[in-house]
Amino acid sequence: MSKEQHLMSISTENTAIAVHNITKQYGDFTAVNDLSFDVQRGEIFAMLGPNGAGKTTTIRMILDILKPDSGRIEVLGAPINDATKERIGYMPEERGLYRNVPVLDVLVYLGQLKGMARTDARQRALALLEHADLTANVKSKVSELSKGMQQKVQVIATVLHRPDLVIIDEPFSGLDPVNTQLIKDLLYEMNREGVTIVMSTHQMHQIEEMADRLLMIDHGRRVLYGDVHDVRQRFAKNAVIVEGEGDWAALPGVERVEQGENGRGVVLHLAAGVTPDAVMEALAVGAAYHIRRFELAVPSLNEIFIEVAGTGRANGASGG
Amino acid sequence: MISSKVWLVLRREYTYNFRRPSFLFTAFGVPLISLIAMFLIFQFSVARETKLDKFQRVSYIDRALIIDPAGPNPADYTPVTDPDLAAPAAGSQPDVLPAVFDALEAYASEQLQAGELDAYFVIPEHYVLSGQVTLVAQRSIPEALRDGIEDFLTAQIAYRAPETLPVPVERLADVEFTLRDLDSGEELSEAALVGRLLLPFIFVMIYFMATSTTAQFLMSGVVEEKENRLMEILATSLRPAELLVGKLLGLGALALTQVVLWAMGGLLIAQINESARAFLGGTKFETSHLILIGVLFVINFLIFAAAMLGIGAAVTAEAESRQIAGFFTFLAVLPIMFSVAFFTNPNGPLPLFFSFFPLTAAVGLTMRLGVSTLPSWQIWLSLAIQVITALFIVWLAVKVFRLGMLMYGKSLTPRTLWVALREGRVTLTSVPAEAGEAARAPRRRKGLFR
Repeated sequence: MSKEQHLMSISTENTAIAVHNITKQYGDFTAVNDLSFDVQRGEIFAMLGPNGAGKTTTIRMILDILKPDSGRIEVLGAPINDATKERIGYMPEERGLYRNVPVLDVLVYLGQLKGMARTDARQRALALLEHADLTANVKSKVSELSKGMQQKVQVIATVLHRPDLVIIDEPFSGLDPVNTQLIKDLLYEMNREGVTIVMSTHQMHQIEEMADRLLMIDHGRRVLYGDVHDVRQRFAKNAVIVEGEGDWAALPGVERVEQGENGRGVVLHLAAGVTPDAVMEALAVGAAYHIRRFELAVPSLNEIFIEVAGTGRANGASGG
Repeated sequence: MISSKVWLVLRREYTYNFRRPSFLFTAFGVPLISLIAMFLIFQFSVARETKLDKFQRVSYIDRALIIDPAGPNPADYTPVTDPDLAAPAAGSQPDVLPAVFDALEAYASEQLQAGELDAYFVIPEHYVLSGQVTLVAQRSIPEALRDGIEDFLTAQIAYRAPETLPVPVERLADVEFTLRDLDSGEELSEAALVGRLLLPFIFVMIYFMATSTTAQFLMSGVVEEKENRLMEILATSLRPAELLVGKLLGLGALALTQVVLWAMGGLLIAQINESARAFLGGTKFETSHLILIGVLFVINFLIFAAAMLGIGAAVTAEAESRQIAGFFTFLAVLPIMFSVAFFTNPNGPLPLFFSFFPLTAAVGLTMRLGVSTLPSWQIWLSLAIQVITALFIVWLAVKVFRLGMLMYGKSLTPRTLWVALREGRVTLTSVPAEAGEAARAPRRRKGLFR
């Protein structure tokens, strides 16, 4: 084995999903345009993008529900096959369960379809239902459950067969804070056990909190990709947020002062070449200033999303 | 060899649909209700036709002058006599008799109205030529009374017949005939003859109900999985072909179960009822015919199930699917609606057409099998047409299924399907949100989604 082949092998071993230059068209419409990215094993990876950006099509191609027109996809080290599919748990955006069938029966059937033995599926389903506080609803029909309960059953169906890779679309929609935390804890627990989690969501604060890396798609193209922290830093402006009292505009190096988000504090936009450290020093020596909070103005993912997606819309970028 | 996932789908479809109230009612309820209804009707008829409690006082008026009061009279019928009417003197001229009998009839009618008589019968003057009598009663006349009068007259004729009569007297009073199969020479009872005519009809009714019920289940199952967004999850667990084969086999087994249950019901009735046994025995079906019917059943089920599957995958709601399915069901039921044509002229143009039209061929051929001997070329041609149709419809259903299974909230139009087939674009696909935007964008040339 050559050194290059060896490196490739290591890379494949560590990669849960490798997407190489995939394109998908529907007639004249390009849903996904020359998209490449990878998801490392054991990480929590977030996919985001505006409605109609190509996320669902990309996920469906990863899962072999759709075939890409061009490009290549590897899942868990190889092009997807029947055996690989059994190692994936998928929860689509459009939830789906048999409505007139008892919860346990649905779970056992879906678990068996993923290759589990009947008794194993039953035991695991009962354990997860208990964990999700749904023991009393084991024999209830799915249609008799509340929306939040159905959502929890859906998540259980996704992870029942102990997958190595979980792809989950909007995992927290319809859940109250308590159940959101419950599902979050379940995902964290699985992730700690080495399960790779890919989640697609519009809840940016969840991505900030949970995801290691992210991919943002717009008009079928990759517009943001990388470590969540790095991406936010990349969009960080030369500005600081301060809370307190004082004449902020009089500070040396401050070019512009603007009200902070939700009226809390102010954002001090700094002139080129002026560092936040210099502003902090000036504040420290200035007796006329009282500071309760000082932090770098790193934009939230929500702000980045709006900025990137908005620019894409304004430019009428590719894709179409 | 059935894969484990096909087996799982098969088992799930079978057990889930078996427990459906509509299936339980069709499979068990309908035969049970039919049995109970038949039993009650039979009991009622027997009671009505054999009981003579309300016909104790029956009299007769003998215009033919054939009844000898000294002759046999097992039922004790009495001649109508009017105490106010002087009996015609012995040796009266025949021309006075009609007036006397008319008066007696009027008197008998009054007696009947007054409840003094339960019934009376008039033996007409030319009874010897016509063999008919007029029986008058105010309530429904039971079969036992007719039989009693017939026996009375036969006995009287026999009593009066000269001993030198060259034929048995019974042959003069009654005509008996024997039914024989022309091919086998086998003697057939009356029930067997009725069975021979009706059994194919009953068989196709059962066959049609089983096929249409289960094919409807298949359709509603696909609609449910599509509308409940299960398809996408199922698509990541097994191949579409495994899902389709599992469903077809599961519901095919269910249809077979229904037929077997009904057949067992029929055999059970035959075990306890002699007429039913003769009725079933009247069937002209041979082993080769039964094999042919089995093959026809499988092909017909494939055609219908695949059609329903395609419809289920193409539409967005069960109500919509039922409307389209209704058209197929209407076509399939046509031979049953025109069943008279099969009884009167099984080789006529209409039965012939139904034997070759793909959607009616199985039913048409089966109905003709029972009442006629079919040329083998017709059987083979019909089979070939059905096999080709089944292959085409299954092929098309798979395409429609693949194209429509993820089209949430959208119907697959024939135009979209045609464009997709022409462009060879049938993959496991959907019309995703992205395509919605594409639909609003200007087009340079014709595309799949518009």
